[in-house]
Order: sequence, then structure tokens, then C-alpha cells
Amino acid sequence: MTYSVFGPGSPRDVEVRHYPFLVYGLVPLVALVAQAWLPRVLGPYTWSDLPLVITLYFAMARRSPIQGTLIGVVMGTLEDALSHHALGINGIAKTVAGFLAASVGVRIDVENHTIRLLLVFLLSLVSSAIYVFIYSFLLGMALDWRWFSELFRAIGNSVIALFLFPVLDRFQLQD
Amino acid sequence: MDSFFARYRNFLVLLVLLLAQIIGLAVQVRRTASGSTLETKDSSGVRLIRYWAESLVAPAERAIEFSRLGTFGLWQNYLDLHNVRQQNQDLQSTIDRLRLEQASLLENAKQGQRLQALLGFQHSYLYATVAAQAIGSSGSDRSRVFYLDKGSAEGLKPDMAVITADGIVGKVRDVFPHTAQVLAINDQNAGAGVILEKTRIRGILRGNSNGQLVVLGIMNDARIQPGERILTAGGDMIFPRGLPVGIVKKVINDPDRDSFIQVIVTPAANLSSIDEVLVVTAMQSHFNDQQQQDINASEALKSGDLTTMQQQKKASDIMAERLPGLTDPNLPAPQPAPSQQPNGSTPVVPTIPQAPPAHAPTALHPDRFSPPAKPSNDANSSGRNP
Repeated sequence: MTYSVFGPGSPRDVEVRHYPFLVYGLVPLVALVAQAWLPRVLGPYTWSDLPLVITLYFAMARRSPIQGTLIGVVMGTLEDALSHHALGINGIAKTVAGFLAASVGVRIDVENHTIRLLLVFLLSLVSSAIYVFIYSFLLGMALDWRWFSELFRAIGNSVIALFLFPVLDRFQLQD
Repeated sequence: MDSFFARYRNFLVLLVLLLAQIIGLAVQVRRTASGSTLETKDSSGVRLIRYWAESLVAPAERAIEFSRLGTFGLWQNYLDLHNVRQQNQDLQSTIDRLRLEQASLLENAKQGQRLQALLGFQHSYLYATVAAQAIGSSGSDRSRVFYLDKGSAEGLKPDMAVITADGIVGKVRDVFPHTAQVLAINDQNAGAGVILEKTRIRGILRGNSNGQLVVLGIMNDARIQPGERILTAGGDMIFPRGLPVGIVKKVINDPDRDSFIQVIVTPAANLSSIDEVLVVTAMQSHFNDQQQQDINASEALKSGDLTTMQQQKKASDIMAERLPGLTDPNLPAPQPAPSQQPNGSTPVVPTIPQAPPAHAPTALHPDRFSPPAKPSNDANSSGRNP
């Protein structure tokens, strides 16, 4: 199935992936549960953001900036709700990340694993930067953060994407 | 116009969603003189979203934790049981020793209570606690919170202290019907009043971005040595006084304030791996029934030990009477006390008590091993057989 993302007269039509309805519900839920439970096993070495990885995957697969934005809003808000921070900090960061991932997805070939990993790495850094910007500058609250933690998190997300994306690709519905 | 919305539909949706979230953020943050902070109480809408998120995640977390603990418990409780008998004996002896120590400390505690009552000072004891299991976390090192499998249905309320046997862990931040969110003490938003055990210096405990505990608000003229224990001060109305917090790891200068230092603390409880905790649901100025029973048991044990010791002493006295003593029966009877002077005053005579000379008693049937009755006189017969 093809879908025009730039409206009528778009120069490029791209393939949109479809998944069973259960996948849309279960995979984000599993990501949230795993993200909440992993620190109990890995302790302070949990350098990953599974909700962000899932947001980026579906945004790139659906190739719809609106759907990518909405997935980012939902995942980010749920992640905020599980923390003690204000609702919206992760929400905004993942909203932008989802939008960018879907926007890039309609312009370049995101089937290539290397491009996917590079995108996940860069958008993880973008998400962290937005988080710090909102927390420290927009809200004016004290946040003591370390750049290497954000770098490790971006690398961790890329490694997870390397193994997780091919697994999720298997759930794709064939026309 | 239609073409404008169609052309920029994606950007417009993005902008609307971002704007909505920014407005939502502005509502949740409160501007103060020292900067911005989160509202201490979530609004009903925010709380509802948190409740939905927790309701989505908690059942799965509970199931995972139940499976993990079940597997671990099966191994630990039924398979890996070697040395358990020896451990049980060791623990029993430890309990007996601790009971004796508690009994010996009880007198001081009672005296302290009496003095506190005289001063009108109320000291709070852990009156009631609820045991809970940690089932999940926020999933982010920027927010050091974790979730318990007990909630308002079990009597938990916000701002209750959460502790382990090793030390304090955090405080309850929010409660749901069957879960509760706990803010760990090493979070940047957490705080507690603490006191150093030896130097009695007070400070404010906070967490930093590394998840370390830091005591702030101490002048740099304070002499604090690494290894000193840190206890809760009890002034924050959350943690009872005297609970272990950690030990001093090192002291550094406060980068934000001159003439102040920061004390880096190694936490007493293992904050990176929290399993079972106790939530302090009530604090009272008197002991609860269980504590009173423990104290009575300790007192009974102590009095039993005293009786045993007295009986042993009595037995040893009887034995000492029956056995030949070291007192010389030939010594004259002890002199009576000096008579009073005519003016009624007792003369003060410096006397040095002298031990009587030790002589072995005369044997009824002396043999070659018997000591001579008078060594000085019978020196010549020392080498002869009787």
C-alpha cells in the first residue's frame, strides 16, 4: 500500500507498513514494563530508553509524521507518569523525536539497518537534548546531568534497535 | 485555506500537541523565590494519568516479580539448604546476645525517657510498620522512584518513611489503591535531616545526579572524618530519629557556596537493589506490644542470667567453705573498731590493709608431699622422708 505524505502532488510515494492491532497495543506496553523493571536487574547500568526505541520504530515504519507524533506523545506521557517529574517533559521530547523519525522515514530508505541505527543514535541524542532543555531552561529547574550518560543511553538504544527491529519486522502484515 | 491546512497538516498537529504539553507543564510547575519547583501535590488530572500508567504497568511488574521471587525462593528455601542448621544456631545465639545487650541498654533508655518526659520532649518510636515488596521503578536514572506492591488499601499514605534493616531508603510520594510510589533518598528532589553520630553536626541529606548521597549545609570548619556514621535527626517529621543513613565517604568543598563543605555518604542500605522494605505507618512516644514483649523477654533473660549467676556464686561459696582456705587459723582475731575519742570524734588513722601471710594448712596425715608446718624452723628436715 502506498501513502502520500506530502499531500496531493507529492513527489514521492512510499510504502507504509502495517501490523496486527495487538502489536500496536502489546509492544509499547512490554517496552514500558521492561523499562520499569530492568533497573531492578541492571541497577544504574540501564543505559536504554525502550519507549523511545519503540516510538522511533513505529514512526519510521508507519512513515506518517502525525502517527509518529501521536505515538511519541503517548509513550512520553506514560513514561512521565511513571516518574515523579511533571507530565510533558518526556512527552515533548518523544513527540519531536517521533515526528522527526517519521519525517526522515519518508525521505530516505530506512530499511537499511545502518541507517536505522544511525537514526536511533542521533534521535536519542536529540531527545536527551530536548529533555535537558525543557527541564533546565524552559522550566528553570535544577537538573544535574552528565553528557556521557546521554551518550551511553544513545549507544544502548542503538544496540537494542539492532536486535529488536528485525524481530518486530517479522510481525509486519504482508499485502 | 484548505490547501494551507492540507499542506502543513503535519506541522500543525505537531505544534498543537507541543503547545498543549507546554501549557500542561506550566500548570504543574510553581515559581518560587529560589527558582522553579514541581507542585508538591499533583492535580487530579495529573494524578489520574499517573494512576492509569501505573495500572497498566503494575500487574505485569507484579507478575514478573512474583515469578522471579518464586523461582529464587524455590531454590533458596527448598534446594539450597546446606548449613541452614548451623546458621539457625548462630542466629539463635545472636538473638540471645542481642537480648542481653538490649536488657543492659534498657536501663539507660528508661532513664532517658524519664528525663525526656521531664523536659517535655517527645521521642517517637517505630510503632507500626508494613512490609512491602518493590516491584518496579520509573525506568529512568533521572527519576529515582520505585513502586511497592502495597498501597492505600494496606494503610500507606504519602510522606511515610520507607526503611530496611540496614537504613533508610526513601519516603512514600504517592499512593494508589494497591501500589505506592516511593521517592528514593538519593534522588535530587529527596531530602532528610541528618546528624553525624560523633561530632553531632546536623545537615541536610540530598541526592545528586550520580545517585550519591550528599550532606549539605555544613561549615568548612567542622572536622569530619571518613567512616563516621550518619543518623536521621528526626526533625523532618518523616524519618524517626536515630535510624542509620550511611557512613562518611569523603568531604569536599561545596562548589556553590564558599565556606561550606559537602559530605559524600555511602548509604547504609543498598539503594541500587531494593527488594523488601518496611513502611513506617505509625510513630508513637511509647513502645508497641511486640516491642514490649521483646523488652520483657530481654528482662526475663537478664534476670534469669542473674539468678543463674547468683546460684553459681552461692555454689562456689559453699565449695570454698568446704575446701581448705588460704586463711591462717593461727592468726589472732580481728581487732575491734577503735573507740571514739572523749570529744566524740573518731581518730583518723591512716591504715594500709595488709593481706594475711599465706600458709598452707597442716595436713592431718602428712606424707612426703605435704608442706612443712613451719618452714623456717624445719628447714633441716626438708629432704627427709617421714
